[in-house]
Amino acid sequence: MPEQLLLNTIDLKKVYETKGASTIALDGVDLELHAGEFTAIAGPSGSGKSTLLHLLGGLDRPTAGEVHLDGVALAGMSRDELARLRLHKVGFVFQAYNLIPVLTVLENTAFTMELQGIARNERIKRARAILAELGIEQYADQFPNRVSGGEQQRAAVARAVVAEPSIVLADEPTANLDSKTSLALIEMMRRLNEEHGATFLFATHDSRLLDRVDRLLTLVDGRVTTDEHR
Amino acid sequence: MKAAIRHLLRNRRRSILALAAVIVPVFLLVLVLAMVGGMERDMFLNTIRFETGHLQVRRESERPKGGALPLIRDSAALVDLVGATEGVEWYMVRLELPALAASPDRSVGILVQGVDPDRVKRISPIYRMIEQGRYLEAGDDGVVVGVQLLKMLGLAEGDGLILLGAHPDVGMGVARPAIVGIFNPLDPELGRVIVQVDLAVAQRLVRAPGAITSIVAQVGGVDGPWDAWKIDQVVARLAERIPDGYEVIGWAELAPEFAGFMRILRPLTYGIMVIFFLLGGFVVLNILYLSILERTRELGVIAALGATRARVMSMVLSEATIIASVGAVVGALSGAGLVGLIERLGGIPLPGLYTEMMAMMGMETVLRLRITGVEIVLSALAMIVVAVLSAWYPAFKAAKLEPVEAMRHA
Ligand SMILES: Nc1ncnc2c1ncn2[C@@H]1O[C@H](COP(=O)(O)OP(=O)(O)OP(=O)(O)O)[C@@H](O)[C@H]1O
Ligand SMILES: [Mg+2]
Repeated sequence: MPEQLLLNTIDLKKVYETKGASTIALDGVDLELHAGEFTAIAGPSGSGKSTLLHLLGGLDRPTAGEVHLDGVALAGMSRDELARLRLHKVGFVFQAYNLIPVLTVLENTAFTMELQGIARNERIKRARAILAELGIEQYADQFPNRVSGGEQQRAAVARAVVAEPSIVLADEPTANLDSKTSLALIEMMRRLNEEHGATFLFATHDSRLLDRVDRLLTLVDGRVTTDEHR
Repeated sequence: MKAAIRHLLRNRRRSILALAAVIVPVFLLVLVLAMVGGMERDMFLNTIRFETGHLQVRRESERPKGGALPLIRDSAALVDLVGATEGVEWYMVRLELPALAASPDRSVGILVQGVDPDRVKRISPIYRMIEQGRYLEAGDDGVVVGVQLLKMLGLAEGDGLILLGAHPDVGMGVARPAIVGIFNPLDPELGRVIVQVDLAVAQRLVRAPGAITSIVAQVGGVDGPWDAWKIDQVVARLAERIPDGYEVIGWAELAPEFAGFMRILRPLTYGIMVIFFLLGGFVVLNILYLSILERTRELGVIAALGATRARVMSMVLSEATIIASVGAVVGALSGAGLVGLIERLGGIPLPGLYTEMMAMMGMETVLRLRITGVEIVLSALAMIVVAVLSAWYPAFKAAKLEPVEAMRHA
């Protein structure tokens, strides 16, 4: 596979200042991700996994260091510029509850395309197609609270990939799911990676997921301690 | 848009409360404006017209106001001028003079009005208040008197009423017309002070045939203060044309109490209604703010997915716009509906206390309502503007949420 540099960080640092105490969440992360990779970041609780994902996806700003996504430096971007970057380049999957409750599964899936200004017919067509591909088209017109956690999470993945972002960042996507459902979700994402070349970066403790990735980074106390390709 | 409607439907109770906060002020405003409009029209049609007319032409006088009006001895050319002025729909001449009304044992200071009995009916409602006997006829030698004055003098229908005129221009004059009619006005002061006689009788009292004190005119198409500009136009037009030594006096100066009342009526009404509108806006603000707090997590997700601040704001504002529009339309239509219904049923009979007050001001005791389409539309629009502006703060708060923090929100 051609190694096209997609995302890199240089000496990335994040310090949280809370009353008196300051927490060093990331302590100089240098990282390169390539298009088509299926990567996980593991590490103990509090090691900075979520923080790293947030910085990579332009959801939060680093205290120091740089993030480049698709050749674009995130530093110095305004709030709305970051929003547009997320909209067009990043797909997010969070641990739980990240569907919009008043929208149906189909509408949720089409939501980012709506923000992108894609015509209604087009986005419905694409949303239906991805739901069918992920095997949840029968829930298209259900509201999130009427479907199971696993199905919600599949819909969240559908929403994250449907607009073909440069990278999908998923923070503990299986943490709220039972074993069987987790495996199904993992296989689904693996397929999206293999068949569509979608790039995934996970933050996870889940060994089932860790078993399926091509590359495993370990984060301890805000530093990358191992980087293992397999 | 769809999401906005679903949000509103998701918490129906709250949405209904917000809706009510919008409906009530608009409904009230429409109702109150209709009452104000009705009151203004009533004052114009019944009070201002009554006795004063829309405008009067008089001779200028050195004498202090409130005394006897100066006599206009040869009025013919002046009357023709007024009659020929564009915009003057109707006019009449009048001779007013202070006099002493006397019975064999008492006398009371009054105001004699010499009028053309046929014409005066158009403005003076006295003929409608005749309780006993009849109103004056053309060339009548009699006098119509208020029941209050009659009682004071101890006279009855058919008796002669001694009138002692004392006009500074001509000195004293006496007449003794027979009482042919007795009127009973709602305003007792009127019945005590005014007596009406044929113009010729009044002229005899000042020993000046052909003399008048004023030309009273009405301008066409004036239903209320909103048409007052038409009067002003005619006043200006006449003022340019009349000879030196005469003056044209508009309604506001002829009836300063009413003009003053009308000047404050609307500002006062708006001032009170603004409070209701602000309250409505405040309720909308709070309800929306509450719903933003509840949706913090969801808004965080929306922002995380890439919605710009403007986008988030417009989502919240569109909810407010839906509430505001629906509420304003419902409020305006129900207000207008109620106004229409009241009008069909013949207006609002005013409660006792007000009846007296209204009657004293010469107004009707049944309040008819009047509202224009423009007022209804503006009432609704005003509420929409207030509600959407009130939504600005919660919308701004929503747009300011940091996605990461907002998503951590329980
Ligand atoms: N908003 C914040 N304010 C203060 N400290 C924070 C904030 N967010 C994270 N931290 C701290 O930064 C460190 C890294 O947190 P982070 O959430 O990135 O860890 P994590 O690896 O994702 O942990 P977990 O596996 O529990 O999700 C932790 O010590 C955490 O307490
Ligand atoms: Mg985490």
